[in-house]
Amino acid sequence: MAITGGGNYFEDFQPGQVYVHARGRTVSELDNYLITLMTLNTAQAHFNREYMARMLEGAFPERLVMGAVTMAMCIGLSSEDLSENAIADLEYTGISFPAPVFHGDTLYAETEVLEVREADRPDAGIVRCRVTGRKQDGSTVFVGERTFLVKRRSHWQERDGQFLSSRLPRELRGWAEG
Amino acid sequence: MRIEVRRGNYYEDFVEGRRFFHHWGRTFTLQDTLTFSTLTQQHNPLYFNEEYARYLGYQGVPVNPLLVFATVLGLTVEDLSEAGGPFLGVDDLRFGVPVYPGDTVYAVSEVVSRRESRSRPGWGIVEWRTVGFNQRGEVVVQYRRRNLARMRGAEGR
Repeated sequence: MAITGGGNYFEDFQPGQVYVHARGRTVSELDNYLITLMTLNTAQAHFNREYMARMLEGAFPERLVMGAVTMAMCIGLSSEDLSENAIADLEYTGISFPAPVFHGDTLYAETEVLEVREADRPDAGIVRCRVTGRKQDGSTVFVGERTFLVKRRSHWQERDGQFLSSRLPRELRGWAEG
Repeated sequence: MRIEVRRGNYYEDFVEGRRFFHHWGRTFTLQDTLTFSTLTQQHNPLYFNEEYARYLGYQGVPVNPLLVFATVLGLTVEDLSEAGGPFLGVDDLRFGVPVYPGDTVYAVSEVVSRRESRSRPGWGIVEWRTVGFNQRGEVVVQYRRRNLARMRGAEGR
């Protein structure tokens, strides 16, 4: 393998592709507490179980996983396929959280490519996609459109392939993959 | 004397055009972003390999933009949504200059619009525009967010 995968350069993306990502992720209490609290979020719905039992006539049985945690996990599940070769995140829009996520839920993600276009630099292009996150019962917990700048194979693949070989220890010089 | 402290604003407080200068600010460390990016499986070495980040033209590992967003959001919560209900959505989220370890972010918001909820008496939907910026006054992220907001007197409902 090169430093990054070879199947997710700008040239590989076409509108209409739907990637069903390989891995799922069970959300833990640690995930939610760590990110909610390290980002100074003071909404008790994410860390006070008794408060949650009273809120909205007890509509939620448990502490809610914070929206930005769910979002980051769904984007994370999609990242090796979509943005491993990304140079920058540009934009998100249309973000919503149709169903709640609780500790112990397992998330899965899929991504549809909506648009590919030129960037203002020759070595990269722009991809716009829609990431959908679902939990184990099939309900949708996250939807969002993401736009990012990604390397073009034509300009980067050769250098990416040499990244590790140019750093090999002396005694391994001459090693090639395969 | 006992002082019962209440935090947060209610639907009635969100008059259109009202502006908020949010508390605290937060300085990022390299460990913050490495923990966030690895915990949430952001599998692009830009976010956890210093040498690779420089190879892409960055000054070092940038703070993951999703962490920048989550932190700016976190800074706004006491003023905007702590007393309220669920997060409904975000639109037009755009990232500005990269954030690096050692940078500090701050947030301000403005009420864009509000309306009463048709399906939930005692609640309304408020939309704010939030801008996050660094210690040099450069915008790092901006977005519009909608939340369910509780009306005064609807406590516990």
